[in-house]
Amino acid sequence: MKIEELKKFDGKDGRPVYIAYKGNIYDVSDSKLWKNGSHINRHFAGEDLTHQMAVAPHADDVMSRYKIVDKLETEEKPVEIDKMDKRRDFYRKFHPHPVLIHFPMALFFFTFIMQLLFLIFNFSPYENAAYYSLFIGVVLAYPATASGIYSWWINYQSLLTRTFKIKLYMSILLLVLTSASLLFRILVPGISFTAGAGFYIYNAMLFLGFPVVTIVGYYGGKITWPG
Amino acid sequence: MNVDLKTKIRELEDMIEIVLISIPREISAREFYLNSVQKFREGFARELFTDLAEQELGHEAELRKILKRLKVELSELKKS
Repeated sequence: MKIEELKKFDGKDGRPVYIAYKGNIYDVSDSKLWKNGSHINRHFAGEDLTHQMAVAPHADDVMSRYKIVDKLETEEKPVEIDKMDKRRDFYRKFHPHPVLIHFPMALFFFTFIMQLLFLIFNFSPYENAAYYSLFIGVVLAYPATASGIYSWWINYQSLLTRTFKIKLYMSILLLVLTSASLLFRILVPGISFTAGAGFYIYNAMLFLGFPVVTIVGYYGGKITWPG
Repeated sequence: MNVDLKTKIRELEDMIEIVLISIPREISAREFYLNSVQKFREGFARELFTDLAEQELGHEAELRKILKRLKVELSELKKS
């Protein structure tokens, strides 16, 4: 019996309840555990349950209670390599996102600290340090974000669940804030030394990056350690 | 959209996220066990890690089926 035919024996509307396991098809119609073609509402008749049995709380000798009615025919298909599998293998081997993300995050935190020290002590080397770390942080943030989006695509089917929505939007916001700050600083090098609207806008954009990068990091950690 | 429906949708979305995040972890666990098998030429250790890898494959298959079902359920709920 082929898998397509097996699907008809789903236990619904009085049909027999068949399940496949390791190439054999079993009739479990008489089992109280398979009423209406489902088992504990998690496993369903008319399917090959070989993989699911591997994690069952009972051993597979439980199948000896049931009559084998047929063999499951498996078609010899050429093995098609899913491109996503290859991409996942590459990702698991090199994990680009964890490798890339720590640099811009650390540099952005360093930027905030240096700029804060400058504002407190008015010591210009602190402002220079903030600028250079911001510069390199922004340069590295783009490939780091791209690797995160790549991971989301190949590992998580690009599904926009709550965590990924927050990560994505906050990452975009972070890129906008830090890139705009950097551009501002490049175009107006003395922005931190000149009182006025520009000074406040520049520092506001810069320091707003602090909670944003924290949120991005937090939700990245939530994916790795979902507990 | 009434509150009950919104709550159900939110719950389903949370379930989908949990299952989605779990799948790569099962794949990584399986890879880890399979790599561990390579370290041993024969005996109990090879058998143990092969068995553990097989279980992870089972987990992954189960989770993918659950994910598919949840997505269908969510889609139907959103249409209602």
